[in-house]
Amino acid sequence: MKIVKVSFLCIALCLVTISCVKDVDFDQAEGIVLTPVIESNLLFFDEPAPSFVNENGSEVSFVKDSVVVEVFNDEFVRDNLQKAILLFEATNTINRGYEAKVDFLNEADELQYTLLFNIPTAVDNQEVLVEQEEVFEGDNLEAFKTTNKLALTLTMFPSTDGSSLDEDSLGSLRFRSKGTFFFNIDTSE
Amino acid sequence: MKKVCQLFLIVSCVCSSQNKQLLYGFNEVPQALLINPGTQVENDWYVGIPLLSHLHANVGMSGLSAYDVFAKDGRDFNSKLRDVVYSMDDKDVFAINQQLEILSGGFAFGNGYKKNEYLSFGLYEELDVFSYFPKDYAVLAYEGNFNNINRTFDLSDLNVSGELISVLHVGYNKKVSKRFTMGARGKIYSSIVNVNSTGNRGTFVTVPGRDNFYKHIFNLGLELRTSGLASLTNDENSDVGSDISTLKRRILFGGNLGLGFDVGFTYKLKDNLTIDGSIQDIGFIRHKKDIENHKLDGYYEFEGINPLFPESSQGQTAQEYWDEVAEQYENLFEVEKTKDKYTTWRPVKLNAAINYAFGSNSSKEDCDCMANDDAYGNAVGVQLFAVNRPKQPQLALTAFYYKRLFNQLRIKATYTLDSYSSTNLGLGISAHMGNVNFYVMADNLLKFQNLAKAQSLSLQLGFNYIIKTNEKQ
Repeated sequence: MKIVKVSFLCIALCLVTISCVKDVDFDQAEGIVLTPVIESNLLFFDEPAPSFVNENGSEVSFVKDSVVVEVFNDEFVRDNLQKAILLFEATNTINRGYEAKVDFLNEADELQYTLLFNIPTAVDNQEVLVEQEEVFEGDNLEAFKTTNKLALTLTMFPSTDGSSLDEDSLGSLRFRSKGTFFFNIDTSE
Repeated sequence: MKKVCQLFLIVSCVCSSQNKQLLYGFNEVPQALLINPGTQVENDWYVGIPLLSHLHANVGMSGLSAYDVFAKDGRDFNSKLRDVVYSMDDKDVFAINQQLEILSGGFAFGNGYKKNEYLSFGLYEELDVFSYFPKDYAVLAYEGNFNNINRTFDLSDLNVSGELISVLHVGYNKKVSKRFTMGARGKIYSSIVNVNSTGNRGTFVTVPGRDNFYKHIFNLGLELRTSGLASLTNDENSDVGSDISTLKRRILFGGNLGLGFDVGFTYKLKDNLTIDGSIQDIGFIRHKKDIENHKLDGYYEFEGINPLFPESSQGQTAQEYWDEVAEQYENLFEVEKTKDKYTTWRPVKLNAAINYAFGSNSSKEDCDCMANDDAYGNAVGVQLFAVNRPKQPQLALTAFYYKRLFNQLRIKATYTLDSYSSTNLGLGISAHMGNVNFYVMADNLLKFQNLAKAQSLSLQLGFNYIIKTNEKQ
């Protein structure tokens, strides 16, 4: 019986006295912070000049449509998004100038933010590249987070020389956009 | 989180791993017969003390220890965590294995004076959790895709399985000749809860696009299969007590059933030179009851939304176009629930050893009830262990020294090399007092001064009531 007792004692010593968990602090785990940066495409189009001409041969100088984007006011985004940078880029080879307007609307269709973007005329169809960056931080980030709809309005300015586009007009208007979303996910919050 | 971590450590020191390098070949302990059904049995009959005859637990993690992350060293926790995450890869594993013997027993029989056959049986519970480190998911969570344009995130990095089963088994062992002993064990598995997500495939990549800045390519093939879980999580009550009684009912044939077997042998090349080996858990479980699977399947390339000029060539209006984009997106991330039956295979384990005995047994003058074969008091040898895992087998190589001390005490010391560590020393002791046998075995002893620094830990202990007759041999 002595031997059993001795071995028991050895093990007990091993497990209880000698073994211990030293110099560690598990409370640290409460504050895991992740800071992923997500890149995502947004709106785009790429249209040749004849797209701005309707079936009757007359110009279409105003195009508007909207897209519901529920992701911006998703709970996760609202809680963790620190900053967003939207980048818009237009490549114009049409002999006309444009204005692109992006309206940020909330669920009640109330305007939260507007972004205007001028696209100069491509004289002689020579490519014109313009870029515009919008940074959302602080107050306008809050406006961004209430957005649930993006309305894109494209207005074509009248030509300076009185010419108009037709089925055979050259060039195209390419519009691209993306968002860079900076998150700060803190598990202790 | 803190509690989980502490529990993790407590589990790791109360228990031991799939590799039972200390118990293997330790024939004074009846439970050695569960690792090799063809081992040399050294008793006439035994009964395990119910619920106390074999407790085994093992926790292992390759690539990190709790200390790496939780050390109180003044360094920022998140930078430590980040270092650890970035130092690990998709082959690093986390494993928990725990067994509790509920009942066990065995007896020798056979024609004539020498009983050369042995029947053993029992019921034990086993918990097995195994996960690879989901490296690409971690990188995505840490960095996002911003700095990873063109990097393909491999979704098969998510590979995790967990199950709680009970095993009812009967083993037969026969000493065929003086040199050769063989055995086999049949098992009926009853899966109490099974969760697995091991067959994932697919990728996510962001590449420069044509129509827009990027093209986001989602190629998803993810699946989580569960059995025995839906009835616990979907029931109305939040009463843990009733869930536990549901689990208890499944222990004996109440769960999803499966079949399996173990085989093993011992062969004496010479009087003092022995080779032995076994294969355990060649078997499967068929999951038919209480299934709930979640599946995410689909391929989608996303370049953004074109609100002004939808593909009107197909005669779509803007609204129709947008509806279609939204639908494709929703379909892609729509988790499909199924109740499809499935089969899981048990992780097959292989053990092999060569054993050289020498020296005299200091107690051989006494009536040595334990002595089965020889008068050798010492043995050294090498053991190999392998367990089949989803990506690749896990291997461990052990060198051991075994010593008989007095009549009642046996000691085995091991040094093990495996994917967790190269400094793993273990010690096992088996003591006999009268007919009561007590054993305790633990590895990674060097880390016992600070368990937080250990990457793997295992402990086994138990009590048996053993009868040996002097006439044997």
